[in-house]
Amino acid sequence: MRTNSLAFRLTVSAAVTAVVLLLAAVIILSELFEQTVQRNFDGRLRAIMDGLQVSIELAEDGSPRVQGNFADTRFQLQDSGWYWQVAPVEKGKRPAVSASLLEPPLVLPNMTAIVRDGDGYARFSLSDAAGNQLRGIEQRLKIFGSSEDYSFVVTGNFDELRDEVQAFRRALYVSLGVLGLGLLGAIFFQVRYGLQPMKLMQRKLNDIRAGKVEMLEGDFPEEMQPIADELNLLVQSNFAIIDRARMQVGNLAHALKTPISVLTNEARDHKGPLADKLVEQIGVMREQVNLYLDRARRAARAQTVGSATDVEPVLQALARTLQRINRDRGLEVLVEPFPPLKFRGERQDLEEMVGNLMDNACKWSKSKVVVRGKLLPLMGEDGRPWMLIEVDDDGPGLPPEQRATAMKRGQRLDESKPGSGLGLNIVSETAAMYGGRAELDQAELGGLRAILKLPALSGAPGVII
Amino acid sequence: MRVLVIEDDADLNRQLATALTDAGYVVDKALDGEEGHYLGENSPYDAVILDLGLPVLDGVSVLEKWRRAGKKMPVLILTARDRWSDKVAGFDAGADDYVSKPFHMEEILARVRALVRRSAGQASSELSCGPVTLDTKGAKVLVDGMAIKLTSLEYRLLEYLMMHMGKVVSRTELVEHLYDQDFDRDSNTVEVFVGRLRKKLGVDVLHTIRGMGYCVQPPGNAD
Repeated sequence: MRTNSLAFRLTVSAAVTAVVLLLAAVIILSELFEQTVQRNFDGRLRAIMDGLQVSIELAEDGSPRVQGNFADTRFQLQDSGWYWQVAPVEKGKRPAVSASLLEPPLVLPNMTAIVRDGDGYARFSLSDAAGNQLRGIEQRLKIFGSSEDYSFVVTGNFDELRDEVQAFRRALYVSLGVLGLGLLGAIFFQVRYGLQPMKLMQRKLNDIRAGKVEMLEGDFPEEMQPIADELNLLVQSNFAIIDRARMQVGNLAHALKTPISVLTNEARDHKGPLADKLVEQIGVMREQVNLYLDRARRAARAQTVGSATDVEPVLQALARTLQRINRDRGLEVLVEPFPPLKFRGERQDLEEMVGNLMDNACKWSKSKVVVRGKLLPLMGEDGRPWMLIEVDDDGPGLPPEQRATAMKRGQRLDESKPGSGLGLNIVSETAAMYGGRAELDQAELGGLRAILKLPALSGAPGVII
Repeated sequence: MRVLVIEDDADLNRQLATALTDAGYVVDKALDGEEGHYLGENSPYDAVILDLGLPVLDGVSVLEKWRRAGKKMPVLILTARDRWSDKVAGFDAGADDYVSKPFHMEEILARVRALVRRSAGQASSELSCGPVTLDTKGAKVLVDGMAIKLTSLEYRLLEYLMMHMGKVVSRTELVEHLYDQDFDRDSNTVEVFVGRLRKKLGVDVLHTIRGMGYCVQPPGNAD
């Protein structure tokens, strides 16, 4: 994930929010828990305090004394942290303390600074001589039969509770940590899922650039559909511009052919250096025209998509035309019947490929050229069907080692037959643009067999896979 | 032999006409499809050279209209767009041959020669009638293997008659196919040329069919 990406922004912002909220939750929850625990603890201390107050009486010397056993054994156990103490607020008299307190009196914090609640309780934390963390409560009351205030203190060992709080905190950290990880995962998934249409759009735009499709199709989310529509318009207008430019290049090149003819003929009628120069330069012009026409053709092919061409009518038309062109030689150009077949591409490209192959076959054949098409039984790697078009002649054929050379650019194996020698090469290049190929083989008629492998649509007419 | 050239580029039209005239054809010219169509519909031609990209009426339409009207003269189409779809359209409209631009004039002359010969039902470029042999490629005439010298008009006359060997060709037909449009049709010059030709050939192949016209046949076959 790159840092300058929507996915990164969404993930990071959501993750930061989640982490902050989770931390706040940890703090608040542990604080609340501690308070609850303290309240409970204080409740227990108050119960003990109530017992203490009921059991207290004054000795003859005026010092307080406890009657009976009101509290549990922890108050007997030395240094347990559980203590009680009753002492007159005014100094001078001995306080009564629990057996657990070895070195009375308890060292209390400054009581005047502590705010008492409605029942007169003061709550505080302290530590004893053994280092235990204690929590205590204090109330001031008069003992029956006395006129002065006594300070009643009960403390409990808070370390036991601390462990409880720690355990709670650990559980809290673990569960919130797990929750946090879960949230991060959810955020990651959510961002990916949410941004998936963007990825889809990107892939489709790539396809457009690669010439596989002509426009953005598919169901985009409501927020992205306007963008997709705008992009489609942009792509269409781009295509239109390219189309216009290509058409103009084509028109220019074709328009130049007539003046080139005129100049050639004129120059050939004259002798002298000027005429020679003219002939030479016209040759250059002719080559340029052919070069740019070739380029325009190629550019046109790079973006042909989505079209389908019925194969048989094209073969029939070409056979008819070639039979007419070669009628002096009495050639028979035959299209063998085959089930309906559709070529996944432009009609003009199919015409150029098959036309050149058939033209070539006619040039070499003695009496017969046979053309046939068939759907291949196996699907291609992309799961789409392929077809073969075979053009057979009964001419001299080519030895296997020369067949590959015949497909190379500008290669002509026999200069005696007319043609620029580009024919087979153009067939090969055009087929390659469709992912197919052109090959030469031995024909059953004795001559050459040209095989064209091209992408097909399903055999049934009108059915588009 | 009368040939119609329909080409909208004036220079190319002139060059084609000149080359064809030099090769012994009588040439009519048209610069657009409509004019060309009119000429082709109303005059007999032995061949037509038809550019496909024409103003007013395009070449394929001109050709289709002629063929629908039953005009059978051989048509050679010229096309700048060297695509199979154009060739298919041209041939389906009734063309007999095509040449793509830019071309060499020799190519056109050879194609026109072949078209004329083929439409007359002659397979070979050499026409023979008894001791007389006419080589359409070299424009030469041999009698018993010896070359004889003919004027351009005499040659055209003999060529036309030998193309239609065994058929009676009327004087009007000869005039139409051998002379320019402004030729004075009442003149007797055809008879004069026929007489001169007979003398130069020295063999009895050129027969006069009284009241009908002329006919070339091997000696001894005449009725």
